[in-house]
Amino acid sequence: MAELDDIIHQPLRLRIMAALNALPLGTGLEFARLKKLTGATDGNLGAHIETLAKAGYVGVEKAFVGKKPQTTVTATAAGRRAFARHVATLQEIIAASGGEPP
Amino acid sequence: MIDSKEATKALSDIDDIVRRVRQSQIYNLASLIMIWWGVLVFAGNIATYRWQWYGGYVWPIVNIAGVAGTVLISAFMHMRTHVRAVDGRVIAAFLSFFAFGYLCSQVLGHFGPRQLAAFWPIYFMLFYMLAGLWFGRAFIVIGLGITVLTLIGYFFIPGGAFLLWMAAVNGGGLILSGLWMRRS
Repeated sequence: MAELDDIIHQPLRLRIMAALNALPLGTGLEFARLKKLTGATDGNLGAHIETLAKAGYVGVEKAFVGKKPQTTVTATAAGRRAFARHVATLQEIIAASGGEPP
Repeated sequence: MIDSKEATKALSDIDDIVRRVRQSQIYNLASLIMIWWGVLVFAGNIATYRWQWYGGYVWPIVNIAGVAGTVLISAFMHMRTHVRAVDGRVIAAFLSFFAFGYLCSQVLGHFGPRQLAAFWPIYFMLFYMLAGLWFGRAFIVIGLGITVLTLIGYFFIPGGAFLLWMAAVNGGGLILSGLWMRRS
């Protein structure tokens, strides 16, 4: 059985990757929207996004919309592959115990 | 390594987030369409109030502009988010819905201007409430709220002032609901 991805496995990072992976390739989520979807605080979300970015799983783009700074986070191709592997491993764990994935 | 209970919990968290992302995309698209229709309906009611004899021209223009704007917004959002709101089935559903409303209000019943001003918003809000059963509670809250306010106006606000009431609760209601939906 494949190993779980330690970077993705952390609950908030799992939610971040799940949200970004639900979008079409190349489409990202704005920081504020991601914060609302995951229920995280600013600082916590920022720290976990940085961890995912360091692993090459997400890309972070900062831009100005009018005078307001806007940060957009996008799952990279490597991030999507890692997330798919992680989900497959979770399903294997459940299957190995005789259960069915939700 | 984690056990199957933790794995099940993780997968169910993923499902929950995916559902919320999809709902957020639908809300984002629906809110723009709602604001567009709100502006048109607001203008339509004010125009009908100001030039009552031209009401028969105002509402076809509002409807055509509404449908054209909906198609354009949908196409624009489809390019950005790949969420498709308008396809053949949606257009068929909209036309069937509209045709049934026309049959009820103009063929089977002969509604006057006041009845028409109340019927179409309530009828479309029924569409919102039904959509809410699949796409989220916000649609149900908006549909129910505008329906109740329309009925209050219909029964308690006499004469032409009813059109101003409808501009506020239907047009203004859609605009405010669209803005609220963008924040939720």
